Amino acid sequence: MIFLSFMNLFRNYRRTLAILLTVALGTGVLFSFKGFINGVLEQYRETTIHSMYGHGQVNAKGYRESVYAEPWKHWMDDTARIEMYLLKQPSVEYIFPRVSFSALLKNRNVSVGGSGQGIDAKAESQFFDSLNITEGETLKNQADGILLGSGLAKALDVSPGDKITLIVNSVDGKINQTDLKVVGIFNTGVIDFDNHVFRIQLREAQSLLATDRIEFIAIGLKSYKDWDLFASNVEAAFPDLDATSFAVLDKVYYQNSVDWLNAQFHVIQLIILAIVLLGIFNSIAAAILERKQEIGNFRANGESVFDIMKLIIMEGVFLGILGSLLGMGLAYGILKFFLDNQVLLPPGPGTTLPFYVSFEFTWTMVYTTLILSTIAAIIASVLGGLRVARMPIAEALRS
Amino acid sequence: MDQKKQDKHEYLYQLRNIAFQYSLGSCKIDAIRDVSVDIKKNTLLTLSGPSGSGKSTLLNILGLIEPPQQGEALFLNEDISAMSAKQLNTIRKYQIGFIFQQFHLIPVFNAEENVAYFLARQGHTEEEINKRTRSSLEVVGLWDHRKKRPGELSGGQRQRLAIARALAKTPEVIIGDEPTASLDQQTGREIMGIFHELVKQKKVSIILSTHDAMVQSYADCNIHLHDGALK
Repeated sequence: MIFLSFMNLFRNYRRTLAILLTVALGTGVLFSFKGFINGVLEQYRETTIHSMYGHGQVNAKGYRESVYAEPWKHWMDDTARIEMYLLKQPSVEYIFPRVSFSALLKNRNVSVGGSGQGIDAKAESQFFDSLNITEGETLKNQADGILLGSGLAKALDVSPGDKITLIVNSVDGKINQTDLKVVGIFNTGVIDFDNHVFRIQLREAQSLLATDRIEFIAIGLKSYKDWDLFASNVEAAFPDLDATSFAVLDKVYYQNSVDWLNAQFHVIQLIILAIVLLGIFNSIAAAILERKQEIGNFRANGESVFDIMKLIIMEGVFLGILGSLLGMGLAYGILKFFLDNQVLLPPGPGTTLPFYVSFEFTWTMVYTTLILSTIAAIIASVLGGLRVARMPIAEALRS
Repeated sequence: MDQKKQDKHEYLYQLRNIAFQYSLGSCKIDAIRDVSVDIKKNTLLTLSGPSGSGKSTLLNILGLIEPPQQGEALFLNEDISAMSAKQLNTIRKYQIGFIFQQFHLIPVFNAEENVAYFLARQGHTEEEINKRTRSSLEVVGLWDHRKKRPGELSGGQRQRLAIARALAKTPEVIIGDEPTASLDQQTGREIMGIFHELVKQKKVSIILSTHDAMVQSYADCNIHLHDGALK
């Protein structure tokens, strides 16, 4: 029966080709669109990771979800031991200890409140290459340098090279201040962030705050896929620490955008599958109607309705699989040829830099597309074949 | 009692007052009316009569394709009307061979595969399938043409192939709906010669519908139908 189903594909070459092209077109579009979405999501993920959050962060347990009057009391101490452990993890490439604090920034007569981040600037500049520096340069090893958000810089009316005074309340209640030189201005596109955030060297920040504690450690991994294992290892080794991925840290922009794009893809996927299904149904129904007498003969010779449906469904499976492979092969070839140099897309949600995407192939796409197209072909075969398969034998033979 | 039972098993079919109507819009048309007939095993029987006389309907009933709407029809002493769809399928699969005027061969299979297909569906071993296929193709003289597809065979050869296909099942009965109607007289005679030999040598029963006096001349018995009734 399987052999007959396969051979039936050669009964009418033109019709088989038409069905295969229908399946191939739908599958090709589905495959291309999924590949494009994958490309967008991958680039967006990498942009998000390399602009602000890293692959995630490690902080004291419950710290991120809580609001404290004196947050530094809940920062991590004994960080040398933690950092040593983190650096020994095979998946870890970088660690970025950070502190954040409130401060007053003063330029001549203008004073503005800001939210400071003390960072290991030299290390971070190697990893966080997606931060959009609109003026000057990023903070690297300039000991007295400060990197300002664009809104903050505008409020202070400063440009790279200008000096400002930073006034900070230390953890023991004293007021410390220092003069810093603006090295650059960044723009993340998140207005609240750009209006308040500035970055200085970690040691400078700890000195102003009069603490050697670390608020959290941002992590740069070799691959984002390593996060889950890394996080579980850290939380097992340090039960008083939390490890949180960038997708959770940036849920509002990153994760919601990913969910939104995926939902959009599923709607389009349904539309394409419906078109494929209708196309196959139309062709298969016509093909089956032409074979009414032959099917009547099969039934007369003892084949049940179920046997006939198996025969028809197997033809649908062959058409679905062959059409899908044809469609994916063609789509892959065309996309690799035309998108080899990538396509420039405007900035994604929460980012300010345009980014290049290319068609991103995964085997999951192949399995998913193959299964969905084959299911569509099977449904079309059932719909197209059931009426004839159930037709009274005498009527089928007479027709 | 034993004698009566013995007698019953002599018959392939026993039909008692069977009737069948077709609906045509709001009208009911009698295709078969009050037909009673017993058909013995190992017989070449023809059903004759003008178009619309009920030959095909009677063949459908004998082929277990449609049950009679009235009366009693027994196949090998079993009531057809009481059989389930599964039972009917099984009997048609193993005990009845069909030959149609339009052959209904599988165009994508060659002659050998056409014969082998229904044998495979019967669940025979490959060795048995090959043996039966060769034997039946040799009976109809098509073994040398076994690799040809139906489209490469003449009308007579296609009908021989249809006969081989029916014969290979080793059925109790082969039912043919005007199997020589689309063939020339000479080829028709050859086909009837094959049927005649099958009845004699293979002990199979053959029931054919026909308009053709030549076909009737080969029959052991002829049933003539007129307006759905025996005449």
